[in-house]
Amino acid sequence: MIDNALLELRDVGKVFGDTVALSPTTLNIKEGSFVAIVGPSGCGKSTLFNVIAGLLTPDSGDVVLADQRVTGATGHVGYMLQKDLLVPWRTVEDNITMAARLTRRVTANDRSEARRIATQYGLGDFLRHYPSALSGGMRQRVAFMRTLVTHQQLLLLDEPFGALDAQTRLEMQQWLLQVWRDTGRTVLFITHDVDESIFLSDRILVMSPRPGRIVADFENPLGRPRDISTLTDPDFNELKSRIMGLLHGKTQ
Amino acid sequence: MSARSNPPSRPRPTKRFLFQVGSDAGRAPTGAKRGIGRTVARNVGIPVLSLVLLMVLWQGIVVGFHIAPYIAPRPLQAFQAITGDWSTLWPLVLGTIRETVYGFAVGALLGLFLGVIMARVPFLQRMLYPVLVLSQAVPIIALAAPLVLILGFSVTPKVVIVAWIVFFPVTVNVLDGLSHVDQDLMNLAKVYGAPRWRAFLQIEIPASATSIFSGLKIGATYAVTGAIIGELAASDGSSLALYQEHANSNLNTAAVYGTTMLMTAIGISWFLLVVGTEVLLTPWQRRSVARKPLFRHRQSALTPVGAEN
Repeated sequence: MIDNALLELRDVGKVFGDTVALSPTTLNIKEGSFVAIVGPSGCGKSTLFNVIAGLLTPDSGDVVLADQRVTGATGHVGYMLQKDLLVPWRTVEDNITMAARLTRRVTANDRSEARRIATQYGLGDFLRHYPSALSGGMRQRVAFMRTLVTHQQLLLLDEPFGALDAQTRLEMQQWLLQVWRDTGRTVLFITHDVDESIFLSDRILVMSPRPGRIVADFENPLGRPRDISTLTDPDFNELKSRIMGLLHGKTQ
Repeated sequence: MSARSNPPSRPRPTKRFLFQVGSDAGRAPTGAKRGIGRTVARNVGIPVLSLVLLMVLWQGIVVGFHIAPYIAPRPLQAFQAITGDWSTLWPLVLGTIRETVYGFAVGALLGLFLGVIMARVPFLQRMLYPVLVLSQAVPIIALAAPLVLILGFSVTPKVVIVAWIVFFPVTVNVLDGLSHVDQDLMNLAKVYGAPRWRAFLQIEIPASATSIFSGLKIGATYAVTGAIIGELAASDGSSLALYQEHANSNLNTAAVYGTTMLMTAIGISWFLLVVGTEVLLTPWQRRSVARKPLFRHRQSALTPVGAEN
């Protein structure tokens, strides 16, 4: 089981004062898989992400990425939030190459890759636009491209579509699945939205607060590729009712 | 002179100021060139018109109320007073410009430096803030005499006084800008593994650009005042301020007014230069599409979408 794990958490725990943000958690994430994490506010989802990203050093345990211990170290994952965090003073192209610019000199290769990926995914006409000229969905797509060109195998997406309207969100979900299939990355995806977690993932982790922990781990039985009809599949609804039961049984 | 809070990274700037050109940020990218002529006319023409109207008003008051020339001259008289004595005035104007520019440069650099270290080290912020406020509470005139004793009648005391006035709004605004940088953005830089100095140059400084320029613009408007105060207090005989004093004691009111116009013109020019620099350095505030980059690899021919497979 642990053979092809890209990411391993070994008893990783984090405490803030009196609050157990994340009780000791052990977890393996398979390379190339799409894992969704659902749970109410305060269940430690973002703490989990910040520990994996290296922004927080856990009080206990180890984070192992591709057989290397990376506990408390940054520079190993792609990371994207609900806020697109595009910088308004850079064009779309220069926002996509932001990670390179923040770590070294931007090369012609970086730029041509940014142009290629933007063109491939429908933003080729906007390379020289500033982010203020883009819609919310376009901005999130640019933010995701910026995450992709970091060439990190593991992508942490923290509610990336949380601020978008329902229609745009559905488009973005399908787009994300396409990009994921094209690029073969491993995705950890936090969301509040149970439908979204089932629609996208191979596997769903349900988290619960006080103390923050993983309370359930579902394999997603739905096949791929997925489309709108997936949302009305009987398997979809069954999984949804189990997850809803867990979320609301625990927290209400 | 309080801190202007300009939160960084506002996506759609709406503020407009003198000589702002091409405010098309957030609009459809096409046809951006169409309205340039009209925009320039609006942003340059209207301010110029308002200055002309001010002159007309001045003329109207002096003529309408039959004010004697030695109390208040007409605009043209004041203008003629300076053009008539231009050969004497020109070197004095250059002197004042030099004091203003040097003092502004020193004050801006000092202000930037203080703002950065105070934003970085909270201890220094607590230590220095009261001292900075105190420095501005001291009447600047009271400061001039000891400065002359220490530095003599050279250009130096004037530069010090200008810098003294300029650094404060710069520091306060830089501090304000840097402390409002989005921490999520800084965290993102950390996740990428960015060294501290790159995050500073690539994120914190541009994110604070609006605040920094607010400080510089406030500083620019006060800089000339500082230079004139310095000239009054520490001048050995040839300066714009003393020229005006002599004109005043000779009841040459037209020259007094004319000199004031000159001083004001220096101040406005300097302010406009700072504004122009801001416009050049922050194109994203006004444009939705970037200009063609000047120093950049030529864009390689793009493969059309779908043609790669």
